[in-house]
Amino acid sequence: MAHEEHADHHPSPRRYVQIAVILTIITALEVVVFLIESLDSALMTGLILLLSFSKFILVVGYYMHLKFDNWRFSAFFFFPFFIMISILVAMLALFSVLTR
Amino acid sequence: MQYITESPGSEHRTSTGLDNRKLLMWAFLGSDSMFFGPLIATHLIYRTQSLVGPTEDIFDITITTISTFVLLMSSLAMVLALAGIQQGKIGQFRFWTAVTALLGMVFIGFQMFEFTEFALEGLTPRSSLFGSTLLVLTGFHGAHVTVGIIWLWSLFFASFKGKVRQETSLDVEIAGLYWHFVDIVWIVIFGVIYLVGAFGVQDRILEHAGVLAGG
Repeated sequence: MAHEEHADHHPSPRRYVQIAVILTIITALEVVVFLIESLDSALMTGLILLLSFSKFILVVGYYMHLKFDNWRFSAFFFFPFFIMISILVAMLALFSVLTR
Repeated sequence: MQYITESPGSEHRTSTGLDNRKLLMWAFLGSDSMFFGPLIATHLIYRTQSLVGPTEDIFDITITTISTFVLLMSSLAMVLALAGIQQGKIGQFRFWTAVTALLGMVFIGFQMFEFTEFALEGLTPRSSLFGSTLLVLTGFHGAHVTVGIIWLWSLFFASFKGKVRQETSLDVEIAGLYWHFVDIVWIVIFGVIYLVGAFGVQDRILEHAGVLAGG
């Protein structure tokens, strides 16, 4: 049955739990980084953005199955997502938030 | 040349070989990310422009971290519900769907608690630019979570009428895509707004949390 073949491409429940554990660890790391007051502002920002991005990729790739699905689904999501990031960066640059 | 193909797991024909409803959901999620992006940017621009009222120092990072964990676990429950229905295990689907919806309700409970604390501290949509941009952003996210909860409970109850089956698991997958999107939006809000945004006031946040814990 075509549907079962499609479902087979998805990760196993065991892998889903492993991803959840990794997401929890990354969230804990984010809070630890936040609580280190001696960290430089730029370094702290970079680390938290990197950790948040890692969580984003894990959820989109594994829980939303983009890693296993047809590339056109990724295109339909990431093209407007790229536009959104561009608008966000442009707005922050326009109001000098990035250099504040 | 064959232009019309059968998409996997669906009962209709498409010109792409992909399910139209799933493609539509991805397009919607892409457009919805464009909705949240400017809201985040607006908050980042105006958060330091408030002349009156409290700002980041009233964040309770402990509560927000717990609610973030709750939402992450709801995503795990959601994929387990999907795995259940894809394997034809209706009991597993019902259990994990109910868990997902309940965790979503717990998240909303945390958000209501946070909003109440904010209001008691004098932070409302009308109090300052910080308040209005933060509460509009997190409020819209909460509205998305609420829609997801209603969607999940409707799938849960529909399963008792035989409307959710292994053959129609795509309905669950599409609901799951929406739910995970709500999760990734919160991942960004938690990192960018709550953690990065509150840099430099950690001592005041900890002090504030101590005051709350003390009574």
